[in-house]
Amino acid sequence: MDELDLLKKDWNTKSNHNTISAKDIYPMLHRKSSSIVKTLFYISIIELLFWVCINTLPLVCSQSYKNKLDRIYTSDYLFTALTIISYAVILSFIYLLFKAHKAISITDSAKLLMENILKIRRIIKYYVAFNLSLFGISIVIGLIYNIKNDPNTSETLHAFSKNQMLVSGLVVLVLIAAIVLLVWLFYKLIYGILLKRLNENYNTLKNLEA
Amino acid sequence: MNPTLENDFVKLLEKHQNIVHKVCRLYTNNYDAHNDLFQEITIQLWRAYPKFRGDAKFSTWMYRVALNTAITLYRKSKRRVTTQDFEGVAFKMKAEHYDDTEDQQIKVLYKAIHKLNDIEKALIFLYLEDKDHKEISETLGISEVNSRVKMNRIKTKLRTILNP
Repeated sequence: MDELDLLKKDWNTKSNHNTISAKDIYPMLHRKSSSIVKTLFYISIIELLFWVCINTLPLVCSQSYKNKLDRIYTSDYLFTALTIISYAVILSFIYLLFKAHKAISITDSAKLLMENILKIRRIIKYYVAFNLSLFGISIVIGLIYNIKNDPNTSETLHAFSKNQMLVSGLVVLVLIAAIVLLVWLFYKLIYGILLKRLNENYNTLKNLEA
Repeated sequence: MNPTLENDFVKLLEKHQNIVHKVCRLYTNNYDAHNDLFQEITIQLWRAYPKFRGDAKFSTWMYRVALNTAITLYRKSKRRVTTQDFEGVAFKMKAEHYDDTEDQQIKVLYKAIHKLNDIEKALIFLYLEDKDHKEISETLGISEVNSRVKMNRIKTKLRTILNP
């Protein structure tokens, strides 16, 4: 008999487990799942709340910040446009996430299930990328406004030589890029750990079809 | 939740639980992890059960949910389970039952299977459960041809381990 036939016979005849009674199964039905879909769901909610808070809290909490923003943006309607875009993105994000979560079915094929889960991860990734870009752009706009309109900043900058100006500009840009990069890496790390196994399995399945 | 539905489900799971145990055995290597995965598969089966139409066999439907949970949804070491947590849940299986009276050849084969990757394990599991390539390809989402090719490679790999 072939070794694998032997294994099959052993596999199908031998029961290695003591059975669990119905009485023991009932409480198991009401325990909490800790699947990665559930974790991803919570992360989506946290992402949503986090960026909404980042965008709105300073407006609510600081009147001087609000006044400053009003001065920066009133003339060219940029602030209104950015606000509308932000809310449109948040609403689209909620809709896309809801749709993606609804699409997940444990009875799909393994490959389709993995694709649907990775789709959720992609939606979150785009949302974070959008917010980070917005964050970067806002800082740059704020700085330009300060340079143009804040007398203290203008005076300091006027005292700078050309080289000093260039160096300070570069330092500011590098700092903004570093902050954005750090936050991005943080996300990559979180999702990297969370979805490592799923990604590996998905790639194995994809390579099978290649 | 409808109590009749719950009773029906529990009866079916009790009857077919060996499928879940086999998946757990393949994808875990200790007592706590086995119980943890069994618990997660049970939750996923229960959640999906209201949509189970009965046009497929319960056992066939279980294979898919159990495997999907093991290779897609389950995160290893995510839940710290102490033996005490399971008091009263009566997981009576003992860790040493994993390797009791297998003859040497079977032992080596099981060890070799544990070294396969998750997808290879799923393929060999479905082979051991006598599933045809149509069902295997549908469960994993690959073509029948690729299922055959990969299965032959795994079998060769396992034979080589046994007859180096």
